[in-house]
Amino acid sequence: MSRLKISNVLGESSLTGPVFSDDYKPLALMPSTKVLKIGGQSIMDRGKAAVFPILKDIVVLKEKHNLLLGCGGGTRARHIYTIASDLELPTGILAHLGGYVPRQNARMLQMLLADHGGIFILYDDFEKLPLYFKLGCIPIMTGMPPFGYWEKPTENGRIPQNRTDAGVFLTAEALGCKRAYFVKDENGLYTDDPKKNKNTKHIPRISAQELIQMDLPDLIVERVVLDHMVRAKFCHEIQIINGLDPLMLTRALDGEDVGTIIYKG
Amino acid sequence: MSENKFETDDGRTHIKSYLMKESLVNRQTIAKTASQDEFAILPHVVMVSVGGQSIFDRGKSAIQPLVDEIAKAKQSQIPMVVGVGGGTRTRHTVSIALDLGIPLGGVAQLVGAMEEANAVFLNALLAKHGSIVMQREHFWELPLYLKGGMLPIIISVPPFHFWEPPPEEGIVPSHGSDFGLFAHAEVLGMKKVIFIKDEDGLYTADPKKHSNAEFIPHIYLDELLDQFPEECILDHQLFHTWKTSRHVEQVQIVNGLKPGMFTAALQGEPVGTIIERRPA
Repeated sequence: MSRLKISNVLGESSLTGPVFSDDYKPLALMPSTKVLKIGGQSIMDRGKAAVFPILKDIVVLKEKHNLLLGCGGGTRARHIYTIASDLELPTGILAHLGGYVPRQNARMLQMLLADHGGIFILYDDFEKLPLYFKLGCIPIMTGMPPFGYWEKPTENGRIPQNRTDAGVFLTAEALGCKRAYFVKDENGLYTDDPKKNKNTKHIPRISAQELIQMDLPDLIVERVVLDHMVRAKFCHEIQIINGLDPLMLTRALDGEDVGTIIYKG
Repeated sequence: MSENKFETDDGRTHIKSYLMKESLVNRQTIAKTASQDEFAILPHVVMVSVGGQSIFDRGKSAIQPLVDEIAKAKQSQIPMVVGVGGGTRTRHTVSIALDLGIPLGGVAQLVGAMEEANAVFLNALLAKHGSIVMQREHFWELPLYLKGGMLPIIISVPPFHFWEPPPEEGIVPSHGSDFGLFAHAEVLGMKKVIFIKDEDGLYTADPKKHSNAEFIPHIYLDELLDQFPEECILDHQLFHTWKTSRHVEQVQIVNGLKPGMFTAALQGEPVGTIIERRPA
């Protein structure tokens, strides 16, 4: 009578705190989907030199995999955050405003992939993903999660904590995917920002807990992604790859551990 | 920031700003966006939450007197925004969904519907007094409604949907209606949130289950977090978020089954429980 247990627990519960159950076995909705993040500053802001080769790979890879693309923001989002911070606006307002840029980027990718089945989707279209995949489409959406005005205030700053890395990670988690893929302009994670520090070392594989403990001054993914991963039911790995290296995306989707893997330990 | 030239020296096209080329993960970079103050968008508005299970599920005998009180309070010219919880149907939704093995994001996608249904209920009762259900897309119409003397009723659950972050503990979404209304108040720079429930306020334990639970008329946020009751009348997530918030100064919990309590709270009287963020 385990079912009744859950019902009874909730019937009396205030639901204001955690609810536990040993027999809850959540279903992975579409675990074979490959959720890819296309970087904003790292890829989109480089224009065709970076974007076209990646799209060429995506068109080929789409024949083998169900791909869902989530877009990053980039320099326009940074400009929005700069002006909004100057005006001392709340984090939730920044989160909403920052959402416009990745949506533009998603629309650009849709236009470029339209002839190959690229379709722009909104949060509300998420439940139609099975149809899009059945039709051989490449759904493309903003990487930003829909938190917007409801994003929690950030400590010691006002840049929203959950941005496009977090959104793409949570998309993969919602679909029950084991791994999410982040296409950026570096070979993965380093001990410091390789664009600024030449003596930095590449980290091919590391656990989220270790990374949280190392407390690096900078990271290639949003910190909150590590927190989400530690608590996640499905998405227990992210792979960060260099999209400027044409073979990397294909190798990653073929299951090769190129770039950096961050895993839930 | 006056020079609007793009910078392209590293293969990327940048707009000049102090966040240009920066990693937004770097703590020093994030700290550049901090400041002592924060702009308050609608500081004089009071957020009011009507309990789902505590008020709504009791039906007419609890709802009608409270609706009359809200209608009367509206004439006081203190601008307010109202939200409603989902109550027992939300609990039922979650229990069936968990039994079916619906994953967390799917559960979060489902629950907001019951809160929205209660908002429509409340609106039907208050419409003749000028209430209006405010959909999320109409976020920026709030000043219009308030200037027009209307009573906006908002959807309490935040729009996290499939993207609900995994909870720190347990298996159900941690961002419910209490958090949603708090976050809504905070982003708009409101100072006060009133929760209308079926208890006089906060107790050291759930007074429905523990007859020896002690009433807490006033407490500071950090004190509450230090000795957090096992079952609390409000979402744990609300208090967690409050720690880093900048606007909400006071959360007041009143008993909506006792006539006059809500009005007294709206007018600033120390009824029920007052939780305050400790003055800086």
